[in-house]
Amino acid sequence: MAQLLMLLAAINYQNSLAYAVTFLLLSLSIVTILHTWRNLVGLELQAANVAPVFVGGQAMLGLRLESTKYAHRAIALGWSGSEMQLQEVAACSISNAELQLPALARGWLQPGRLRVESRFPLGIFMAWSWVDLEISALVYPRPLSGELPCLSGKDHEDETDGSRAEQAGVDDYRGLRPWQPGDAIRRLDWKAYSRGRGLLVKDFVALTGTELVLDFGKLSGDIEARLSLLCHWVLELDSVGQIFTLVLPGQTIGPNAGQLHREVCLRALALFGSGKKEGQA
Amino acid sequence: MRAKLEACLSTANQVFLGKEKQVRLAVACLLARGHLLLEDLPGMGKTTLSHTLAKVMGLDFQRIQFTSDLLPGDILGTSIFDKDVGRFVFHSGPIFAELILADEINRATPKTQSALLEAMEEGQVTIEGATRALPEPFFVIATQNPASQSGTFVLPESQLDRFLMRLSLGYPARAAEKALLLGESRRDLLPCLEPVFDHAGLAAIQEEVAAVNVSDALADYLLRLVEATRTHPQFAWGISPRGSLALIAATRSWAYMAGRDYAIPEDVQVVLPAVAGHRLRERADYSGSGDSSLVQWLLREVPVL
Amino acid sequence: MKAAEVIPRNSLFWLLIVQFLVILPHLQYLPPWIIVLWLGCTWWRLRIFRMCAAYPNGWVKALLMLSTGLAIYVSHGTLIGLDAGAVLLMTAFILKTLEMRNRRDALIVIFLGFFAVVTGYLFDSGVLAAVYSLLPITALLAGMIGLYQNDSAGYRAPLRLAGSLLLQALPLMLVLFVFFPRLAPLWGMPQPAEQAVSGLAESMSPGEMVELSQSSELAFRVTFDGQLPAHENLYWRAITFERFDGQRWARSSNSYLAQEPKWEPQGEPLSYNIIIQPNGRSWLFSLDVPKIQADDARMMADFHLERRRPVDRALMYRTVSWPDSRREPSATSASLAASLQLPRQGNPRTRIWAEELRRSEPDPERLVQVLLRHFNQQPYVYTLKPLPVGENIVDDFLFQTRSGFCIHYAGAMTFILRAAGIPARVVGGYQGGELNPAGNYLSIHQFDAHAWVEYWLPERGWISIDPTFQVAPERIRTGLQQAMVQEQSFLEGDPLALHRYSGINWLNELRMAWDNVNYGWQRWVLNYQGDEQKQILQKWLGSFELRWDWLGIGLVLVLAVLSGSLALLLFKPWRSTPDLVQRLFLRYEKLLAGQGIVRQKHEGARAFAERAAQVLPDQAQAIRQFTGIYECTRYSGEPASPREMQQAFKALRDALFSRNHAKDRIH
Repeated sequence: MAQLLMLLAAINYQNSLAYAVTFLLLSLSIVTILHTWRNLVGLELQAANVAPVFVGGQAMLGLRLESTKYAHRAIALGWSGSEMQLQEVAACSISNAELQLPALARGWLQPGRLRVESRFPLGIFMAWSWVDLEISALVYPRPLSGELPCLSGKDHEDETDGSRAEQAGVDDYRGLRPWQPGDAIRRLDWKAYSRGRGLLVKDFVALTGTELVLDFGKLSGDIEARLSLLCHWVLELDSVGQIFTLVLPGQTIGPNAGQLHREVCLRALALFGSGKKEGQA
Repeated sequence: MRAKLEACLSTANQVFLGKEKQVRLAVACLLARGHLLLEDLPGMGKTTLSHTLAKVMGLDFQRIQFTSDLLPGDILGTSIFDKDVGRFVFHSGPIFAELILADEINRATPKTQSALLEAMEEGQVTIEGATRALPEPFFVIATQNPASQSGTFVLPESQLDRFLMRLSLGYPARAAEKALLLGESRRDLLPCLEPVFDHAGLAAIQEEVAAVNVSDALADYLLRLVEATRTHPQFAWGISPRGSLALIAATRSWAYMAGRDYAIPEDVQVVLPAVAGHRLRERADYSGSGDSSLVQWLLREVPVL
Repeated sequence: MKAAEVIPRNSLFWLLIVQFLVILPHLQYLPPWIIVLWLGCTWWRLRIFRMCAAYPNGWVKALLMLSTGLAIYVSHGTLIGLDAGAVLLMTAFILKTLEMRNRRDALIVIFLGFFAVVTGYLFDSGVLAAVYSLLPITALLAGMIGLYQNDSAGYRAPLRLAGSLLLQALPLMLVLFVFFPRLAPLWGMPQPAEQAVSGLAESMSPGEMVELSQSSELAFRVTFDGQLPAHENLYWRAITFERFDGQRWARSSNSYLAQEPKWEPQGEPLSYNIIIQPNGRSWLFSLDVPKIQADDARMMADFHLERRRPVDRALMYRTVSWPDSRREPSATSASLAASLQLPRQGNPRTRIWAEELRRSEPDPERLVQVLLRHFNQQPYVYTLKPLPVGENIVDDFLFQTRSGFCIHYAGAMTFILRAAGIPARVVGGYQGGELNPAGNYLSIHQFDAHAWVEYWLPERGWISIDPTFQVAPERIRTGLQQAMVQEQSFLEGDPLALHRYSGINWLNELRMAWDNVNYGWQRWVLNYQGDEQKQILQKWLGSFELRWDWLGIGLVLVLAVLSGSLALLLFKPWRSTPDLVQRLFLRYEKLLAGQGIVRQKHEGARAFAERAAQVLPDQAQAIRQFTGIYECTRYSGEPASPREMQQAFKALRDALFSRNHAKDRIH
């Protein structure tokens, strides 16, 4: 467009230098086609690990860009409709990019083919390519805090629903009780003993039982809300190091505790109802 | 020097029957100035192997049996009030030895474990504000029972990373076991072993190992391996730069033991399971036990040339 | 605003530099307030960049635009026209730079910058201007590149890339420049305003002519096809002055008459090329009697060449002249009437003297001879400092001062001839020229301006005669400078004119060389237009017919070849093949693959060799040897010589060949 205007000026003023500049720009465009193309040729992309994310968060998709030959400047990466991110790769080297993708729904987030484009050096041409990296990120349900109507101790059938099990624990001091063989020496109330009240043991309870059950079936509301609530409690219980069991229709996880257990539970929640109990790795 | 090394290996192999490769790797690990983690069931000869190595290498040997009530002070040493002198006197712990056998390391509490592992990393210990250097050379051979066994504290990944290699001995072959049954007790053999190296000799060999040539092409292969662990989704995490350094050191050492002054991809392939095995975990593997299948996958899928 | 759209720092840096570079050559005709505007905007933009100031909001922008528009109107009196347009472009460029926020704005600024560069050519298209314009163009490209590059790349990286892009584009540009067909102007465009160009004017007083000869500006250059004529024969006709009002000589009505007078070519012709500097006049220079090869110029009734439009840019044309031709031998008295015109009154002494002369010498030719002898023998002085004259300029000159410049002599002679009843007129033009030995061309400067006389005789037509020759023959034979040696008045008012110092040898040579460069530039670059292009291309093509469609195909082909070779240069496909060692190993792999042993990708050379050795026990040694050398070369840091490796490979190949051979024999 600009070149056309310049050409018109050159013709109308019969100005050789204006012609020359017009031709120079034209030649530059031709040269730029090659440069732009070269900027994309020989670039290898590889998806790196994707950390799981909660609904509403941003999935960080790691990408590894490797240059096999040339330097690659201002490579724009992104999915259709999203903002492109610029990335530089020096010649024969590797650079890592992290692309953000909003996690909108629970389950596997599969952004589809990645658009890789280059406008470098002059921005008048664009070379692009669609790359299928088979990236997928696991999206956990959004944790929503709320009261659990039931945190049932699984093995204590005599206790009614809704009641809180008081299990021997370490959290709260409840009182003293007579010593029984097997009680920890550490818990003996020596002061009481010295006062001649006999061997008494300080008794502690945990607010909830040592083994809790998060049961999908005992919740009400729509599926997503229930999963969100369960998700919240999985995180909550995990943060205090509690042992718990997650019961989903057709699936029981635990009892267990720890990071791995949490991951398994969250994964199960994320993939609940998707038909894939254990998604692809 | 190489003749001595061969002598050393053959001596060790006389004691430790039918496990030439493991013995070789263990020696390679020591030559690369790395610490060794032996992981196996009780009674597989871990302690014997450590003893043997200490003997033939001519190293001052200390064994620390790790138990759940072992305290850091029991390893590093403590200051005890001496009535006669009227002040605290430092009594150095068993760690001030050249070769330490940390037996059943995973039975000790994490606190004790980390006391040892810090000493391994830094080559010195700080006790009550005073920094004391550990002897040179300083090797740790730790043994651990498989994680599944009860009464164990699993070593965290950060600690595992400090061991250059993890070896697992495995059951002996039938013939070897038969010889074992019919022959002398291995423990009785130990006192008869003559050291093959002195300290200077060992240091010289370690120098030579460090000088083994690693070409660009080989480094590229090594990097391809490492990058594969970092990018491929089946790996929970990749090999750290410390891991890559360990890999290259072990490769050099192995190449040296093979009589070459340059390393080739086959060297990497030999040492990779021992060096990388405990540094990798499969994403889907929730037990955390680690799996040789990952290393096998690496060896199979990463192009060599 | 998208993060990616923000203008990177290095791009902004280059764009500000571009502004400086683009504005600099325009400064000579830009109104001074532009500089203030420019400095202010640059300062503001820098403050915006440092986050000390905000972008101008809508009101401020509108105010700025309105006030600059008003300022242009005030300083130029108009908003249209080339000069005002150029200023408008500049202000747009400056203001857009101020308010550019994102990449799109920056691109607009860049394109405005390119336009500003092109506009600059309309005012000055000399060699220096062209070379200089490479600076802003490179900086513009650097700014453009910077838009797509991280800040981390630094300021120099875009510049370096811009330079290499320019170099790569240069061959393509040259091809396009040479072969792209030039079109005639599609429509008229506003031209640069008349600059104060010195040169001959439509009417001239003697004083103006003297003034003109103080200028060392170039008028035109000439290249002759053959031998250079003698200096004294180089009378370059521009126009004729026929109307005399007692003070000034003005252009004749004949010279406006687009009717070729009667004449016939006689004698040896002279062919030459002329490039005129722009002078805003429509007449062209030529030797007598010319035929011009141009569509838009023709001969007028007074034998001078006239162009349809004024010469507003350097113009090249080709002319053939027949100096010996007879010119209009049978003119009608009606057409000659203008050549006898005299003012009613004035110069009575001259009129009386002319009457006397006519009576004593009835033959016009003899009368002319008497006159010339008079100039020759009487104490006339040829000078650039003529003494002042009164009302009757011819009387005073002839009978009192007797000192004058060419126009004085030509004017006086014409006056006398007319008073004696002989049709005569003053011819204005240039005489002589300076030879540039390197370029073998003549440069004619303003100080070569000259006036002479032509009179008409029945049967013989117009005859040129130069009274100045009688007074100062050295002026005609060698030039004004020689003629003024005594008086030392040559280019007196212009101490910087290099012509004054032509005595200094090296300086003169330098001046000549530079002039030669300029001439070549004009001849081969600036005037590479329309017909000129056709002629040159035709010359190259030889006997082939020049056809634009073939030329187009050829152009595309040449461009394709050039871009192809550029692509080769950029991609260097030959480099992608691994080095010799790797190539040999690939061949080795293929060789063994032919035997059914394919290397797995995870197999190292040694492992593969061991496997192959098991399958081919007879060749095991050759395989191991080759692998050993390969391994050594690739991994040991002490590579084996390529020859050694090739030999090992050959040995292996021979071994395998003999095996195949043996197998064949068994079958």
